[in-house]
Amino acid sequence: MGEVMTAQGRALPAEDTADLREIGFRSLDFSELALRVEDELGDELNFDAPGLRRIATVGDVLDFIEQLQSA
Amino acid sequence: MSTRRRTTALIGDDNTVVVAGKRLTWRTLRKLPQLPSPAAVLVDNGADALAALRHHAVHGTELLVATESRVDERMREELGESGFAIVLPDGSVTPARLKRVEESGRAWLLTSGSTGRPKRIGHTLESLTTVTADQPPRTWLLPYSPGTYAWWQVVTLSLTQADQGLVVIEPSELEDWPKIATEHGVTAASGTPTFWRQAIYRDADALAGVPLEQITLGGEPVDQAILDQLREIFPTTRISWIYASSEVGASIVVHDGKAGFPRSWLDRDPHPERPVLSVEGDELVIRSPHHGAGLIGAIRTGDRVEYDGDRVLITGRLDTDEINVGGSKVSAGVVRNVLMGHPGVSWARVFARKAPLVGRMVAAEVVPNRSLGPITDTDLVQWCSTRLPDYGVPRRIKFLDQIPQKETLKSDV
Repeated sequence: MGEVMTAQGRALPAEDTADLREIGFRSLDFSELALRVEDELGDELNFDAPGLRRIATVGDVLDFIEQLQSA
Repeated sequence: MSTRRRTTALIGDDNTVVVAGKRLTWRTLRKLPQLPSPAAVLVDNGADALAALRHHAVHGTELLVATESRVDERMREELGESGFAIVLPDGSVTPARLKRVEESGRAWLLTSGSTGRPKRIGHTLESLTTVTADQPPRTWLLPYSPGTYAWWQVVTLSLTQADQGLVVIEPSELEDWPKIATEHGVTAASGTPTFWRQAIYRDADALAGVPLEQITLGGEPVDQAILDQLREIFPTTRISWIYASSEVGASIVVHDGKAGFPRSWLDRDPHPERPVLSVEGDELVIRSPHHGAGLIGAIRTGDRVEYDGDRVLITGRLDTDEINVGGSKVSAGVVRNVLMGHPGVSWARVFARKAPLVGRMVAAEVVPNRSLGPITDTDLVQWCSTRLPDYGVPRRIKFLDQIPQKETLKSDV
């Protein structure tokens, strides 16, 4: 997530409670992060669209990615 | 069409033809045994392809010539069922399954198959000879795969005009073509943008040593970056790009060193010798006097265009060029042009990648310019961010070690 933010010239806040909208982490950034995870795993991910609506903070993103990696 | 046997006077029959390092002429090329007609002649070298073409020109046979690798078993069967005897590189002949009367003088081309299986397009030597005005004496490089439209363009020029020599480049010689071209005094060369990019990438100094008076690009979208790079290496050479295909023939020829063509060329009054260009939706539509058999009238080219000021840019194939990122549309060709405008990029391919939330994202493969030091994906993302809307910025960029190139000299950008 930090790499995505850095590539956009922004910094990832230290707090997991940081609101994604406030730090400007948009759907394009989330999609990029997902592709980075795919590249890391070497496999296409199957995203659960309803679950995405619950992702509002930095911590939610990290949890979600962790779930994907362990799935 | 006429059933009369052609006895075309081959004005270029004594032009020099260099094959595998040997200096011959059209007339002294190895003679092929009497070919059946109709015949699909499958070759594994450029000299035999030229010999098959000359045989066709002299005897007026019905001919399809292609490299052996482009015609798979299924297509050979289809050709046999359509009345073609199949002639293999070793001279062996599989008779046609369908017996029919030949179409005298018919030359068949296979499309590149970029939108599916290759199609057969009918032409004649006359319809393929689009350069009819007297030309200055030149020696042409022939790097194209035998049987493609671009190959026919160069070889018919050499066969029908005086003082138009040929230097044939076999696939195994592609990496060293500037050396061969310099050795044999090549003054004119036609190739895809990928072909020219590779030449610059491999050894720009060797390329600069070729005494080129004419450079032609075609077969793929031509971007400003490659035109500028060639202009820098060849300040006084005429640099042209051509839009041509088996279906519509050579339809757009641009000599002003700029990508795209003037918008004023659209919808001009019909002229017997000049194609009529128009745009329907985003698609380039052409009515061409050089069209293939049966393709009369407006042909939808399947190529996508965008306007850039007073220019019309051909950005890529309709079915792959437009990338829909969460409802916002961006042209892969436009993104590619931006990437290739970066001095550290030698080649780029841009494509859509499936992604959550937005459906598709823009991704890219890039070959960096080795002479300018390392670049990172962050460098390129920042470069693109100042030149493209955010949804058009390629977020995932993979670096490749070399420029991919197919037998057709294209790289499927």
